[in-house]
This record gives sequence, structure tokens and C-alpha cells, in this order.
Amino acid sequence: MSLTSVSTASSAKRESRRQIGDVIFFNLSRAFAVLTLLMLAGIIVSLFIGAWPSIERFGFEFLWSKEWNPPMERFGAAIPIYGTVVTSIIALIIAVPVSFGIALFLTELSPVWLRRPLGTAIELLAAIPSIVYGMWGLIIFAPIFSSHIQPFLTQTIGHFPLIGALFQGTPIGIGILAAGIILAIMIIPFISAVMRDVFEVTPTMIKESAYGLGCTTWEVVWNVVLPYTRAGVIGGIMLGLGRALGETMAVTFVIGNSNFLSSASLYEPGNSITSVLANEFSEATPGLYTASLIELGLILFLITLAVLVFSKILLLRLSRQDGTKS
Amino acid sequence: MIEEKILPISEMTTVLKPQIQFRNFDFYYGKFHALKNINLEIYERKITSFIGPSGCGKSTLLRTINRMYDLYPEQYSTGELLLDGQNILARGVDLNSLRAKVGMVFQKPTPFPMSIYDNIAFGVKLHERLSRTDMEERVEWALKKAALWEEVKDKLQQSGMSLSGGQQQRLCIARGVAVKPEVLLLDEPTSALDPISTTRIEELIIELRKEFTIAIVTHNMQQAARISDYTAYMYLGEMIEFGESEQLFIKPKMKATEDYITGRFG
Repeated sequence: MSLTSVSTASSAKRESRRQIGDVIFFNLSRAFAVLTLLMLAGIIVSLFIGAWPSIERFGFEFLWSKEWNPPMERFGAAIPIYGTVVTSIIALIIAVPVSFGIALFLTELSPVWLRRPLGTAIELLAAIPSIVYGMWGLIIFAPIFSSHIQPFLTQTIGHFPLIGALFQGTPIGIGILAAGIILAIMIIPFISAVMRDVFEVTPTMIKESAYGLGCTTWEVVWNVVLPYTRAGVIGGIMLGLGRALGETMAVTFVIGNSNFLSSASLYEPGNSITSVLANEFSEATPGLYTASLIELGLILFLITLAVLVFSKILLLRLSRQDGTKS
Repeated sequence: MIEEKILPISEMTTVLKPQIQFRNFDFYYGKFHALKNINLEIYERKITSFIGPSGCGKSTLLRTINRMYDLYPEQYSTGELLLDGQNILARGVDLNSLRAKVGMVFQKPTPFPMSIYDNIAFGVKLHERLSRTDMEERVEWALKKAALWEEVKDKLQQSGMSLSGGQQQRLCIARGVAVKPEVLLLDEPTSALDPISTTRIEELIIELRKEFTIAIVTHNMQQAARISDYTAYMYLGEMIEFGESEQLFIKPKMKATEDYITGRFG
């Protein structure tokens, strides 16, 4: 009571001015948030409209048709979808364990003086433009890959049952496997940086509890730190996967840019959605050709969306298991 | 039942067996001399509490007994620290089996991100191979020892992190007990708990004395007086006074101890 009665006219005025500022700020930030939604919807709608002639013509067959024949105006997305998905899977298979090792070393094993330089070096890897990775992959990596690594793989893994067929064929260097490896190198910095950050926030006391029971470093990381940080680890992997799916320039350089696949071998040159777009969009004739390319873009968008939704569901299920959310 | 602490006096007729012995023990955090020439014996199946102002080195002392400080390269110790007559500071001591003998519970509950059952079984699996039924028995035994069994027996597969703070701390005690250690180190085990949970943990500690040697660091002098058989008062890295809790709290030998326990400190 007494407080309100002593408040003067000027302070009331100041008070209302502050409230107006709050209202403006609230509406402005809401407008920005709504803008992202509008942009997202706009992109989806324009992709859909642009792709419509192709969708109308080929229907769902577009997804599994292997034919890509611009002169005959017959288009199918199976080869680029295959290329995108398989190169990304190869990249994850290589990058996840390597990144885990890097993060483990940086947080638990490395001498303190080495942590900062090593961590910075890995972050710098992420700063290299993707076109540099592409050039390096084509000029340096692919020749070494074809002369040394591919023959070795054929002689060893190539004899395994089931997966052996993946490592057969002419070792020409560039191809799906090479693209997958280059992608792996490109996403390692992202995944390992996220993993390192989440490993670092694991409470010391939890780790000491595990050490106190007689755990080795490996047992602590594998059984305690990793489960404790799995949400962050999955987030990091998904970040890497998203990047691998959308990466364009580096893949275009090393994937071989072929719209034909004759065997299951990973040595074969292929195409990814992004490499097709990068190579052909500028020379595509308007009409069905362009519409098919736009539909490829739409499909890539949907794949990325599916990955995102899948990871959200996974995280939700994990936190439910923890009992942290019900 | 907390008055049980009177009992050890009558038990004193039995011979005291030192389980842990510090001999001319010094500890350093890099250049900082954190523990100075400690000579001390911790007796088997007794509760020994460590009191003193913050930074006096009591937690540091506790953490030397399972060599937790080995995780940090800049920390080191000199002198001797014997467990069952063996110098555990010697080269070639197997830390993993040392830590199987010396369990530890921390200031805050630290359940692992796994089920209640696995929280207990995890530590056991590190050191023993048990059949499924043996493991189930061991988990039940440990949870009963920690007075938690009745509360969790129907939800062993739920996450350990879904329990309340006091339950989590008893889970951590059960986890430590399950590997059947000889010594339990408790580093301010009730500092993050409410009074009711604290009382339960104190009763539990007194109960556990029958089977384990217990060393406890506490900021709460009443707690030390209530539950411990022996008390050590530390100040600035030195052991000022050590003796039976009864005697130390009622009639301390040193003026410094008296000032601290009567609140005239500083």
C-alpha cells in the first residue's frame, strides 16, 4: 500500500515505457520465429510446385527407376538416392568409431598439455572448405586409393562371404567408396567435437564413482560416460549424418558422376542427389528435366527430415527409459 | 537406536585391529602441501570420522585410501599407507583390486545411468563372475544391507536416476557394499540430503559397522559424535587430535580441538 502511494508520476511513466519495450521485444522475437516457419513452408511448397510435372508424369516409380535419360526425357532417382544413402552410411561407419576414439583420447587419456592443440587441430579440420576436400580427394587421395588401398581391400575383405562382393571390381579410385571415405573425413571433426564436449560435461563425481568401484578407463567410458551422454552423442552423430547427406562439392569431385550401376561393388562410380544437381542443373532444359532435378531436391529434403524425426523419436525413447521423462 | 554408539565402549574389551595405517604420510597437489606428516590408524569394523573446517584436508585424506588421486597426474603422496599391512602406495599395486577392497560414496548421489539392478550388478561384474541367480541374490543382499530393498524390490528394472535423493544415496551405498569391500569411505554422504534421509543413512552406517570398516568425512559435528567410534580433528593439513569420539567431543586434549567443537573457532 504505502509503496504504491509513494510512487510518483514520473516513475509510473518510466514503468509504462519499460512495459512498451517489453511488448515490442516480445512481438519482434515472435515475428522472427514465425518467419522461420514461413520460410520452411515456402521452400517445401516451391519445391513441390517445381517438381510437380515430374511427380505427375512418373509418380512413385521415380523413386525406384534406375533410368536417367535426359534426351529421352525418362528420369528415375534410384541411382542418386542409392549413392546418397550408401556414401552417408559408409561415412558414418568410419567416422563414428574414429570420432569416439578421438573424443575419448581428448577427454580421458591425453596429457593435459596436448589437449588444447589437438582439439584445435580437429576443429580446424571442420573449417576446411568442402571443395578443398574434393580437390584433395580427386588429385591426391583417389590415385593412392586405387593403387594401394583398393587392391588390398579386394584381397582381404573381398574374400569374405556376403560383404565380399562390395569390394570387387576395377580399382579406379573414384567411386562410391572413395566418396564415403572423403565424407567420413569431413564429418569426423563435427562428431568428435560434439562427443568431446558432452564427455567433458559428465560430472567428475560420476566418473570417480565408477573408478572407485575398480573400473578401468575403458569401462568407465563405455559403461558410464557413454550412457550418461548418449543423447548428446546421438545428436552429434545426427549432425554428421545431416552434413554427409547434404554435402555436395567434395562428393561431386570423387563419386565418379555415373548414372549407371552394374554391380553392388562400392568401387563403382555413382552419383548422389547433390552431385547430380551440381552437375546437371545449369544445363538442364526447362520442363520435365528441370522438374525431375527439383524432385530430387525434394527427396533429399524428405530424407533429411526423416533422419531428424527418427533421431528425435530415438532420443525421446531413451529419456523415457532413463525415467527422466515420463 | 542412534544411542548405539555407546556400545563400542563395552566392546572395547576385544582387541582393536588397525586396518589402515598412515605412516609419515604427506600429500601434495602439485606444489601445495595438503597433508602434513599424517600418522594415524583406522581400526577394523569401527567408524572413524574426520572433522575440521573446509580445506583442512579431510576429504583429501579419504581419497588417498583408494588412491583416487591417481586420476590426476599432478597429485602425489609420500610416506606409507598400509591396508592390511600392505603398503598400497608401493609400485605395482593393482588399483582395480584395491578399489574392490575400498568402496567409496560421495557428497552427492551418483547413480549410474542404468537400471537399479544394473547399478548394483555393474560393480560386482567387474570383479566376480556370478551366475544369474547368484547375482540376483547378491543384488538383493546389497539392497537389504542399504535398507533399500523394500522400496525398490518391485521396480529393479527402473532407472536408478528415477529414485529420490535419499534413495539414490542408499543405492550408491548398496553399490559400494555389493562388491564386498573391507573398507567403506564416505565423503560427506548426507550433505545433499534432507534430515529424514540423513537419519536413515546414519542408522544404516551404524548397521554397516558390523561388517565393514568405515571412514567418514563430515561437516556435521553432531553426526560425527552420534555415529562414530573414533574421531580425527584436522586443521590445515595436520592431524590435530585423534581419539575415541566420546572422549574427543567431551574432553578434548587439545585447545584447538575444543575451540572447534565448541564453535569458538577462528
